This record gives sequence, C-alpha cells and structure tokens, in this order.
Amino acid sequence: MNEATRTETMLLDPTSEAVPSSQALSPRKDSLKGLTVGLLDISKPRGDVFLDRLGDHLVRQGVTVARFSKPTFTKPAPFDLRQEIATTCDAVIEALAD
Amino acid sequence: MHDIDDLERRGIPGVMVASEPFAGAAITQARALGLEVARVITPHPIQDRTDEEMQAIADSTVEAIVAALTIS
Amino acid sequence: MRDEAEAMFQRGWTDGLPVVPPTKARVLAMLEGTTRQPEEVIALTPPNLAECTVEKVAINAVLAGCRPEYLPVVLAAVEAVCTDDFNMHGIIATTMGVGPVLVVNGPIAQRIGMNSGINALGQGNRANLTIGRALQLVIRNVGGGRPGEVDRATHGSPAKLSFCFAEDEAGSPWTTLAEDRGFDPGTDVITVFCGEAPRIVVDQTSRSADSLVRSLAEGLRSAVSSRVVVGMDAMLVVSPEHAARFRDAGWDRTRFMNELSTHLMVEADSILAGTDCIEEGLPEDFAGLTLPKFRPGGLLVVHAGGPAGLFSAIVGGWLNGPMGSEPTSWEIKQ
Repeated sequence: MNEATRTETMLLDPTSEAVPSSQALSPRKDSLKGLTVGLLDISKPRGDVFLDRLGDHLVRQGVTVARFSKPTFTKPAPFDLRQEIATTCDAVIEALAD
Repeated sequence: MHDIDDLERRGIPGVMVASEPFAGAAITQARALGLEVARVITPHPIQDRTDEEMQAIADSTVEAIVAALTIS
Repeated sequence: MRDEAEAMFQRGWTDGLPVVPPTKARVLAMLEGTTRQPEEVIALTPPNLAECTVEKVAINAVLAGCRPEYLPVVLAAVEAVCTDDFNMHGIIATTMGVGPVLVVNGPIAQRIGMNSGINALGQGNRANLTIGRALQLVIRNVGGGRPGEVDRATHGSPAKLSFCFAEDEAGSPWTTLAEDRGFDPGTDVITVFCGEAPRIVVDQTSRSADSLVRSLAEGLRSAVSSRVVVGMDAMLVVSPEHAARFRDAGWDRTRFMNELSTHLMVEADSILAGTDCIEEGLPEDFAGLTLPKFRPGGLLVVHAGGPAGLFSAIVGGWLNGPMGSEPTSWEIKQ
C-alpha cells in the first residue's frame, strides 16, 4: 500500500501506481527504399482512401507496401495481426485516428 | 497506440497518423505506456471528406511520415 | 495544514465531485464486504491495461462513498466492463457521449437498498449512485481513462458520473432482464450496457397494448438517429404504468418483444442518404430493403420506475457487436 498523501491521516493510493517502463523509439531506417512497410488501417471511415494514396507514393519511392486492417478501430489490433506485421514488415504506419 | 507500442517494443519502427484533436489522446496514451511515439498530424475533420480531399491530405503528409520512420 | 478534500482534487483522484478520504481504516472496512483476497487481480483496466486488484477497487469504492456491502456489485461491474466483449477501452476513447449503464438483478438489490422505483435513474439513492461512480473512478484512477486525455467525448454526459439502477422485479409483469439473458431466477447479476443518458418517451393516452407498443417503437426508431439502423443497440426502461397495459393484455415478455420487433422494421428508402434533403443516411445499395432498427438481441428491456407516470425511458447505445460493445451480464459473487 502506497501512503500517498501526508496529512493528519494517511490515505491509500487509488491509482495503479504503475511507473511505465520507459522505451525509446526503436532504431529508424536509413531509407525505406527496398523495405516492406506495413500500412495498418484502423478501420475508421475515409482512412482507406488516405492509405491508398499514401501507398502509391511509397511504391513510387521503391517501397514494398503490405496492407493490414484492424477488425475495429475501437480495440487494439488482435495479437495475431500484430505478430504478422512484426514478422513481415520492416516498419509500420498506422492511420487514420480521428 | 497499443499497436504501435507493441511493434516498437519488437524493434519495428512505427508512426501513428492522427487528426489534430486526437493528437492529445495519442500523447497521453503513449506517456502512460512509457513510450515516445512518432506521430504525424493531419487536419480535422476526416470523416466527411471527399476522396480528392483525402488524397490531398496524403500528398501533403507523406514526407513527414517517411521522415518519422527514417534517420533524417 | 492541508485540506484533505482539496489534496484529493489536486491529485486528480476525483470525477469533479468531492470524494471520501480512503484511510486505511475505511479501506479495511470496505474489504469486509467481500470474501475475496485484497491482492487478487480481477481485471486489466483500460486504457492503460493496468492490473486491478480487489484492494484498488475497494479504495476507489471508498472514494465514491460506497458502503462495504456494495463492494461485490462494484467488483462484478469492473470484471464485466473489462472484457473484450464489452470493450471499455473503445468506450473511453470514443467521441460519442456514452458510458457503462449498470442494471442489477437479484435479491442483492433489495438487500443493499438499491432503488428500482421512484427516480430510479436519478439522484438520491446512495447504492445506485456510488456503485456507478466507483466503477468510473476505477477506470479513471486505475485504468488512467480521463476526459481530455484518452477520453475524447465530444459532449460526454451526466450519465458518465454514474448510471446504475436495479430492475423492479417484484412489480414486473415479465421475467427479469437477467433471466432473459440466461441466468436462473434469484441469481445476483449485473448487466452492463454501453449507453448515453436516458430520455423520456411520453405516451399518456394509449389504453391498448397494441397502441402503446407502436408508440414505444416510434420513440425507439429515433434512438441515436432515425438514420442509424442495426449497428447500435438500445435499452428500454418500461415504467410500471406502461407495463400494466401489457399485463392487462396478457402479453408476456416474449409477446411484447415480438410485437415491438414488428413495429421496429424500417423502410430503407425513407432513410437513404439524401432523402428529405439530409446527406446522412444509408448508401444507395440498401434501396428497397426493409431493415430492423435493432439487430436480434440488440434491444434490452428492463422494468423500473415509480408507480405513477405514463412514460418510459430510452437509453441509446453505441456501436454494437465485435465492432464496438456487447452488452455483458456477470454474476455478482460475495
């Protein structure tokens, strides 16, 4: 129990008390050319149009584009989907949260 | 944000594209997860846009998105 | 000397209203309300997916103003909302002003003094108000779901402070919500539904069950938007005076639901995008179809309210099913 507030009486902490393990960004790439980039569609309306166009740009830059979509934007992506992206892609773009 | 966090932790560089009002949510969530997340912000709103407008948004953000994934 | 109440506001522990200081003595007394061990992890609380122990729930129940005998209901509520089906994560993050709506069935409701009668959805009853509030404080404090941060609600709703009531089982002409959802009679059950604040549907004139069911259906067709069909659920809280019309006509729950369903069919042509000069609506491919306002099982019917008043209440929902939230019922254990 974390005694959070020093007053006349001790109060117990209602929060998770979790201190997030700090994580720096993973190493960036020198260039995306020749790499496979995953486009993860969070499945909100209009996001697909954005990703189609973004994919066109990337292909012109020599990128291999792999498309994925979450079953629903309201939940984190299922484990298997994240696993698939992690094993097949060099980088990932998630869009479009609005 | 959980998705990018998970992939970053596996060493896959990621970037989250969000419209302006949602940037704040992404930042707090990332902070709670202990992660520095690369973000690219688009104008808002999104859901009532035409195809042409969405494509224009993609055209104007592609450079920032690529920059977020590469050593710039 | 620091003021305790002010200190708790400053620490961000509150929903905007004052909270009860969670002293060791109060938390230990709260934990007497359950046989479960304080260190038991009962859920991963969104949005941060933080481990939530029985003790953390007890601390937040103290903050909310609960009595120890409410704790089992709060624990069940936390377990029910922290399921993949209910999808509390999405409910916190959505821009729609929805939150968990809690309905309690079984003898525990009376035993702990919950209100299912006059003003059941309103203020004034400690159990109703503090159980719903304790759940929201767990989401805020343990899960980290705070307005303006991960919570992006455009307007929010007063129901996001607390929306919890009991079904009036004794006065109902029908089987209970919990029985309808597969539980044995007499089981203590909490049902969680993702909904907005309640609104009234007035019908002070219908004498026949047939007229009243059509009238309620008309009200329900406008839930969330007249132009939204199938994709969002709703809850209908039928008042005792309205229910009496159906009792008098000999309609059991099944008959009532069937009659209601027939009046909840919508001609897609009337709500296509562009009809009546409104751009919102169904795509052209739906032309000619007749669609149900609610998916099968997408309308929850509860009996509650005071003895007088020819009104019922409608609680509009949010995205349903695997895309959004699934109404979830959970047995309350001591």
